[in-house]
Amino acid sequence: MTATTQPTRLTTDLSTRRFSDVRELLPDVANPSPLVRLNRVLADRDLDIYLKLEWMNPFGSIKDRTAAFLIAGLERDGLLDGKELVEASSGNTAIALAALASLAGTRLTTTIPDGVPDEKKIALRMLGAEVWETPDDLCPVDNPRDGAIALARALAASEGGERYAATSQYENRDNVAAHYETTGPEIWRQTEGGVRWFVAAYGTTGTVVGAGRFLKEQDSSIQVVGVEPEPGHRLPGMKSFREASEPAILDRGVIDHSVVVSDEESYETTKELWRQEALMVGPSTGAVVAAIRALPTAPGDLVVAISADSGIKYTSYFEDILGEEGRPHL
Amino acid sequence: MTTQHTSDTGVEAMELDCTGLLCPLPVYKAALALGELRPGERLRLITTDPGALQDIPAMARQRGDTLVSVDSTAGHQTFVIEKGPEL
Repeated sequence: MTATTQPTRLTTDLSTRRFSDVRELLPDVANPSPLVRLNRVLADRDLDIYLKLEWMNPFGSIKDRTAAFLIAGLERDGLLDGKELVEASSGNTAIALAALASLAGTRLTTTIPDGVPDEKKIALRMLGAEVWETPDDLCPVDNPRDGAIALARALAASEGGERYAATSQYENRDNVAAHYETTGPEIWRQTEGGVRWFVAAYGTTGTVVGAGRFLKEQDSSIQVVGVEPEPGHRLPGMKSFREASEPAILDRGVIDHSVVVSDEESYETTKELWRQEALMVGPSTGAVVAAIRALPTAPGDLVVAISADSGIKYTSYFEDILGEEGRPHL
Repeated sequence: MTTQHTSDTGVEAMELDCTGLLCPLPVYKAALALGELRPGERLRLITTDPGALQDIPAMARQRGDTLVSVDSTAGHQTFVIEKGPEL
């Protein structure tokens, strides 16, 4: 009889970036998402601008943080209990929730605005989610521009509340906590306390409120900026509060400046980031960088802006703005 | 529950029971059901959420469908909606 030796099983090792479970890739202070400096776009402003590349997270966006905290909160409060998840999302939260739900042995039903690009909707179905495409004006009487949110609430209340657990990112304090406990501390550490401006898009407002609050607690002179699209915009994930309700988690006491940007300047800046910085960002990144132009900054100020996701999920949108650009001409 | 009937113009081609569902679920399901009908065919929709009395007529108006009748009795609302022309 020959003795066999059990092979030594490898374990997680951050120093070699070896992980035992995809969830260990979720960002935190020990494993932050990268900060990358802009060297060409807005070079005329004499600023030190860094983008925090949230698309390097395992499920592709800043919402990886939110989703992990939302699910952990449901488990902590005993509300998950084998239920399916339901959430209104423009795609990124849903993608992260769908991925994490699968790993937790459940699934996601998501109500998603009908303007969200097909790439996201198909990714969600690939992850096993049920996708309810929802017009913003589904509920014109009670929720004029928030059809997806209203439908998610109705689903959560259906079947006696027994089938679904609602993650409710627009009103859930765990959304804010995700950024207070991870995004904010990462930025503070990565800038060695030098950040002067923190810029993020308005959506659920979890990022701008959570990270902004943490940063202002470290240094109250840090300026927190929320970036808002125009009504009728086509900037996925962003919300205009002139047409949609303000989320319950929005704390305006944290925010020093709100900047409104147009679709045109957002997409133009997105294109500049792809072509001049080789950063393949999504449209909301173009919006937050465009907003920096409007800020009363001082020379040399260190600005950190959130790049919430990559542009690969929006190629059908970019097709529309490109027109004939990049095609050969006779 | 959805029931298919014969599909002649002006007759009820489908019945959709949304009792117990909160708005806007009946609106969403009614829009899906109307999407399966041909112009001129009718949907009979039964709901229990009083919000449907506002939301269903608004949906029909927005879609270009015709609300043929509404009956609200004993906590139940019954709508008959005729699908408008395809846009």
